[in-house]
Amino acid sequence: MDSSNDEALDIIITNVVATFRTRCHLNLRTIALEGTNVIYKPEVGKVLMKLRKPKITASIWSSGKIICTGATSEDDAKLGARRLARLLQKLGFKVRFSAFKVVNVLAVCSMPFAIHLIDFTKNNRPIASYEPELHPAATYRIKHIKATIQVFSTGSITVTGPNVQNVATAVEQVYPLLFECQKPRYK
Amino acid sequence: MSRAGLSCPGCGSSNIVDDHLYCQSQLVCVDCGSVVSEGALVAADDHVGGSDVSYSRSTAVAKKPCMNLIKGIQRVKAICRILRVNSGIEDLSQTYYNLAYQHESFIRVSLQKKEVLAGCCVLVCCRLLNWPITMGTISCLLDADPMVVGMVYQEMVKILNIEPPIINVTEVVEAHSLEYKLSSVHVPEEYAENSKDLTKRAVALVELAADSWIVTGRKPIPVMMAAIYLSWQSLKPNKHRLKCSLEKFCQIAKVNKHRPASKRITEMKKVLCKLGKEIPWVREAVTPDNVVRQVEDILKHRYALLRRALRTHEEVLLAECQASCEDSLTEETAPTQSSELVEQNPNASSVEQCELNAERAQRPGDGDDNPCTVSELHTDIQESQDPTPNWGKRVLFAPPCVTHPRKKRRVEQPELKDVTGDEEISDSEIDSYIRTPQEAREFTLTQQLFYESEKS
Repeated sequence: MDSSNDEALDIIITNVVATFRTRCHLNLRTIALEGTNVIYKPEVGKVLMKLRKPKITASIWSSGKIICTGATSEDDAKLGARRLARLLQKLGFKVRFSAFKVVNVLAVCSMPFAIHLIDFTKNNRPIASYEPELHPAATYRIKHIKATIQVFSTGSITVTGPNVQNVATAVEQVYPLLFECQKPRYK
Repeated sequence: MSRAGLSCPGCGSSNIVDDHLYCQSQLVCVDCGSVVSEGALVAADDHVGGSDVSYSRSTAVAKKPCMNLIKGIQRVKAICRILRVNSGIEDLSQTYYNLAYQHESFIRVSLQKKEVLAGCCVLVCCRLLNWPITMGTISCLLDADPMVVGMVYQEMVKILNIEPPIINVTEVVEAHSLEYKLSSVHVPEEYAENSKDLTKRAVALVELAADSWIVTGRKPIPVMMAAIYLSWQSLKPNKHRLKCSLEKFCQIAKVNKHRPASKRITEMKKVLCKLGKEIPWVREAVTPDNVVRQVEDILKHRYALLRRALRTHEEVLLAECQASCEDSLTEETAPTQSSELVEQNPNASSVEQCELNAERAQRPGDGDDNPCTVSELHTDIQESQDPTPNWGKRVLFAPPCVTHPRKKRRVEQPELKDVTGDEEISDSEIDSYIRTPQEAREFTLTQQLFYESEKS
């Protein structure tokens, strides 16, 4: 992939958030009664359901809109969402799995070098911003792919974006900028 | 102007003129004076070119500036006077406040936020015009939550399109140390300290901390507090000062103690101990308890001590590396037997590099090039032996979060690679999530019992 580095960087996806619709009204009380692993939150108007495999937490609203969080890949999220839809079908609702969309992907990556954050921010103004009193990482936002990268001085970075492809592109884009501002390790 | 074709109904004459009486036009007979016809009371042409004027606008006087804006600008001036900044900063911050106040993001916010906005304008102007102050100072002045100050600051910078320079901690130390009331006027003699000396030593300590990974990513104020405390203790290390805890010091200097400052003090003392060990004329062991007395010497010769410490560390690592490579051999150093070692030992390449390292380290080392290359070779060795290196363990100075990782290192889960998302879902799997009717009934009963017992 990258010709500049010899070892491949491990981009580990830690969270995928996806939404889908069931196209029918859902009775939250029934779900809370007949489902296991369910937490009912009447004050907010939703039900939290946790699946074991894949490890997913879903927020279910009575309008039929559902948000799934906690998956570790896009396909995993889709599988979990389909499981959830099937489960609701079995509980007696006329569910139609539709409008599945991955909304957010969070990934972490570790650079093999430490980074001098002040230099990095100076070289990349105004896309990068760093306020040490507020947050220990520098934030780098790539508008055209809608990705946000938080760069820590130890070399770890966290990337959030709308899908896995954008996240990978963001890491590729930011790597040369980080490489320029690396801190020598022995110091 | 006479009109043809019309005859007066009264006298029948055709001498009819168009008379404009006031604003109403009438057709009047000249002979008998009777009105033949009249126009509408409000003729359409009179208002051509004019527009409807609302009542409030017609009765309005010259527009007065908003009262809150005036108060806000006065607050900006007051903050500038308290901080004793120069007039350039004062004027610029008033301009920015005016601009930001009128913007839609800030025109309708609460008064508290508008006050915070005043402080943020002063902050950004101080940064732009090279008079660095911390956000902590501003939030203290405004008595506001630092997070709210941060939020407003970031939004304001985005709206006004300013790019303030990032301040280094060392620049802020001087301004911060002025807050500590340690002159002989305020405190008894054994605690009093000249602020110039205090600042100079604190700056040196902060620079040392920045070189050894204590400052990066941390909030600056606890670091500065720790530096000032240690420099105060070390300028006159008598028993009064050494016994004085951080809490008591903050009480004496009349500042608010920050909790992370104690941790920073421990970290700084560790670094000072590592350097203090290298001082040739110190006989006793340097521990965090007695390192304060050596701080003056350490800071004076810190670059030389850093080089020595790094070299010692490299030698220790090299010895460890050799010991682990040559576990089956009785001789410790055998550069002539390297060829045999290559055949016998499975880690052939690492052994060769070990020998190379031994030769290089034995050469008289001077300058910073040597530690650099030796450490690079070391990273190669370690990485060939250990696939997931924790680089914090290998180097002398590393950020505490890398040396003592609390979280497990994240590894990609291999089993998830086979998931496609469109697989079949078996019924039994789904049934495990549904309660049987019996279980549902029991659940409702238990719930009811529970609520009843709660009520009673």
